[in-house]
Amino acid sequence: MPTIDVDYAELERLLHVQLNGDMAKLDDILAFVKAEVKAFNEKEGALSLEMKDTNRPDLWSVEGLSRALRGYLNQERGIKQYSIGESIVDVHVNADLYGVRPFICCTIIKDVHLSDAIIRGLMHLQDKLDKTYGRNRQKTSIGIYNFDLIKPPIEYTAVQPKKASFIPLGFTETMDLDEILKRHPKGVEYGHIVKRHPRYPMLYDSEGKVLSFPPIINSNDLGKVTEESRNLLVEVTGTMHQTVLNTLNLVTLALIDRGGKAYAATVHYTENAGYTQQTVVTPNFNNRLFKLSVEYTNRLLGLNLTAQQISDLLLTAGLGVERVSGDSVSVLVPCYRVDVMHQVDLIEDVAIAYGYNNIEPLWRELPTSGRAKPDQRQIDVARELMVGLGYQETLTYTLTNPQNLYDKMGGERAKIVEVTNPQIVTMTSLRSWLLPSLMEFLSNNQSVEFPQRVFELGKVTMFDETKETKTRDEEWLSAATTHATAGFSEAKSALDAFLSNFGVEWQIKETAHPSFIEGRVGSVIVDGVEVGVVGEVNPLVLEAWKLENPVAAFEIKFQMLLNRK
Amino acid sequence: MIELRAQERKILSATQQLGGKASVEQLIEECNLPDAAIMRNALTLQEKNLVTIHAQHQRLIKLTAEGEQYAQNGLPERRLIQAVAKSGGAAELPKAAAQAGLPSQFVQIALGWVIRKKWATYNSQTNTITLANKQIPEGSDEKLLKSLGKKQAAQEELPPDLQLAVDMLKKRKLLTVEPKTKRILQITPEGKKALKKAVTVQEAPVATVTQLTPELIITGKWREAKLQKYNIEAPVAKTWPGKKHPYLSFLDEVRAKLVQLGFKEMTGTSVELSFFNFDALYTPQDHPAREASDIYYIKDPQYGDISRHQTAVENVKQTHENGWVTGSTGWGYKYSFEVAKRLILRGHGTCLSARTLESGNLEIPSRHFSIARVYRPEITDKTHLSEFNQVEGIIVDQNLTLKDLLGVLGKFAMEIAGADKVRFKPDYFPFTEPSVELSAYKEGYGWVEFGGSGIFRPEVTLPLGVKAPVIAWGLGVDRLFMMRAGIDDIRMIFSQDLDWLRKKQVT
Repeated sequence: MPTIDVDYAELERLLHVQLNGDMAKLDDILAFVKAEVKAFNEKEGALSLEMKDTNRPDLWSVEGLSRALRGYLNQERGIKQYSIGESIVDVHVNADLYGVRPFICCTIIKDVHLSDAIIRGLMHLQDKLDKTYGRNRQKTSIGIYNFDLIKPPIEYTAVQPKKASFIPLGFTETMDLDEILKRHPKGVEYGHIVKRHPRYPMLYDSEGKVLSFPPIINSNDLGKVTEESRNLLVEVTGTMHQTVLNTLNLVTLALIDRGGKAYAATVHYTENAGYTQQTVVTPNFNNRLFKLSVEYTNRLLGLNLTAQQISDLLLTAGLGVERVSGDSVSVLVPCYRVDVMHQVDLIEDVAIAYGYNNIEPLWRELPTSGRAKPDQRQIDVARELMVGLGYQETLTYTLTNPQNLYDKMGGERAKIVEVTNPQIVTMTSLRSWLLPSLMEFLSNNQSVEFPQRVFELGKVTMFDETKETKTRDEEWLSAATTHATAGFSEAKSALDAFLSNFGVEWQIKETAHPSFIEGRVGSVIVDGVEVGVVGEVNPLVLEAWKLENPVAAFEIKFQMLLNRK
Repeated sequence: MIELRAQERKILSATQQLGGKASVEQLIEECNLPDAAIMRNALTLQEKNLVTIHAQHQRLIKLTAEGEQYAQNGLPERRLIQAVAKSGGAAELPKAAAQAGLPSQFVQIALGWVIRKKWATYNSQTNTITLANKQIPEGSDEKLLKSLGKKQAAQEELPPDLQLAVDMLKKRKLLTVEPKTKRILQITPEGKKALKKAVTVQEAPVATVTQLTPELIITGKWREAKLQKYNIEAPVAKTWPGKKHPYLSFLDEVRAKLVQLGFKEMTGTSVELSFFNFDALYTPQDHPAREASDIYYIKDPQYGDISRHQTAVENVKQTHENGWVTGSTGWGYKYSFEVAKRLILRGHGTCLSARTLESGNLEIPSRHFSIARVYRPEITDKTHLSEFNQVEGIIVDQNLTLKDLLGVLGKFAMEIAGADKVRFKPDYFPFTEPSVELSAYKEGYGWVEFGGSGIFRPEVTLPLGVKAPVIAWGLGVDRLFMMRAGIDDIRMIFSQDLDWLRKKQVT
């Protein structure tokens, strides 16, 4: 979920409301666009908002947010109209970019007055769009320049890393592109996007001055925006044309909302390079047309709205209506509502404008019969038996690590299910047996009164080539008892009580197990098959877990008992 | 005037007769009263200041089974030299041993002791024993053996020479020593006077009894006994019963409620195909939720098998790329089967719902739920776990609407959270539209976000072969549990604190 920072005073001003710091009231307003206040620094007037909808980048600026809310606050209805001036810049795209970063969209904003707060807001929007909508600049990235320093036309081209050099933003020395990837913080962070290509994207003006090295870094000379900048050039490069255009539209609209006047740019792609269009004029604020069925709307919402009512609600939600007929509404979706993919997206807006709390909830009796999972009864019976035997049930993580599963248990490491991206070294793998979880539990309770008797009935995971996930989970049961005189017979006695009450005949067979004392450990045999182990824990293992009392324990593959039934 | 009961008088006078000082054991024999009666009366006599009771710590010695046998038959070395003596003061070892009737394993032991006690000499070349003296006097160890026999004795009360023999026999494992406290009554000057002057009161025929014994019950003697009063306010030892885990018990309760409301439980595996966790739920393949910071990827093997779901995968691919027949624009990117096959640890329980929809045997109407362990690569803190349980599910029926969705949430809030009021807010999930957040109000707790729900997008249901509307819901059960259990740290759900689990009340 993106979190956006907005200036509280700006928000109040753009929303035309006086909140007097009442965050509950603000939350009620923000609910219309699925946002809520995460933090409010009253002293600095800084608001931090959580945006639940990851597919509404139009909300990630204070301008966009107030644009979306004004309908719900009965200030303006329908689509807010924006206009673009004629094309004043040409952009030429080199054919070599097709496999690298093929698309660019561009605009020129004139006569904008930038305050420090506005610049910060702009940078914040740029950052949010790059990160979330642009997938960390992989899909799209934005560049903003002081237009007065640039001599069009613009050239978007691909160059070998050693053949281009410039002073990157925030630095004072000239570097070639390889050096930038190695030494500039942004190069280190985003270099992976371009590294696999022999040539990197570059933007030049007609005099050969560097605008930027997309998607990495702007030039220090042209790519710096200050409060003195009046005319800006905004470009977005990326891998998907629609996303690139959407991003440019969003930035452009925010700047128009700030009093700027937008002019178009004409992008020229090379023929026969794979592009479907040769000339594209950007930005493009055209609405999209959706036909919304009245019947479908009412069927989904359980309401009985007329086409006219639906139309009114859509206007409240900031959408446009081209035509209302008896059974449908022709809806105009503004360019910034990139989230609308299906009629259901419009129907939700109708419902929000109608008010969820104005809809009568309905609990329908359906002829369905409930049922817990098939094993649940046996699992409950088993847990009750263990509780009856005086054992405290525990709940532990299934994510653990090979040290706990093998090293500290005195065993040889075996292949287990590991993750590629653990967050902490103690949670790297799914457990392959339960006793280590109990040993860890006991080691955390050395100062608690003895005797201690604990058990867990839980999942372990193992490889299984026959399954589509190449693994399967099983329910296992492990129990441990620890006190000054804990020993084999106590564990065996508990196990016997458990199994015989569970209706299982079993035998014990001498075995060797590195976690247990030699001669005090046995395999649990049911129907000639080994289903577990019972024994007195090896003092080496006790030392590894820093336990001071003997531990006797058993572990059984409970799933095998379930499968017998 | 001092009063004495009959038993008190009996004990007091017996003490006087035994020299003014007598042990409890002596008095048991002398007065022919049980141990408990002697002690009880001794305590009252002490209260009346007629006797003083001294505790003497003693070492009680007792022969082992082997010791008792030697007490009767003599030590092996004694039997050996007796046989030698019969042979005229010298004899070959095997012959003498045979005559003495020593089992073969005792011969070397007996010989060792004979030599150590210097009773005889042994020539190993001729294998003969020659007595040192004609008469070999009885050693203190032998005296001790005989005097003890089957009896017990206090080491301190033995003659000094026999006391020394205790260690010898103990080392040979012929006797055991146990610490014991001996109580001795000593008559006071007032006690002596009382014997002369005191009035004997007619004693009630009852003895006060501390422990009600099987014997008292069987013989019916308890009728004559007085059961002593206890100090019932005295503290007793703590008992820690085995208990179910509070959070799991809570989930049991949630499960029971859902079953009662007509929901069937779904199950699945911790390791899941990206396809069911994401793609089937209309999450594009480059969505941030699929980054390594948001979902755990399996190291080896990296890929699972999607071939059993060919139709669904093909439909989902087209839906993502261009909307297929769903009426959607789709996401407009090139779908990859490779990405769909990637194995992960499931990040939510919704993958189980997707599998149920895709299973091909979905009943309409039907209701389903799951209680699934899910995984997120979070750093664990007060409000985040990297592994937790999710309760969620689906409802499928031809005519479901947003009204039903609100109704379901309301029902859960009342039935499961015991809420007084509910409130709905717009919410966002990539796979549902419309989406609703439920807040429940409960007296004493205030408003709490309790669940999220929505109607699956057609981009989810149609590719999986389901034409009916499907309500998907999830409940914030962890927060509800924390409220009930009075904890504000989510890590307590997986608490490793045995003390907390022991003291946690069963609810």
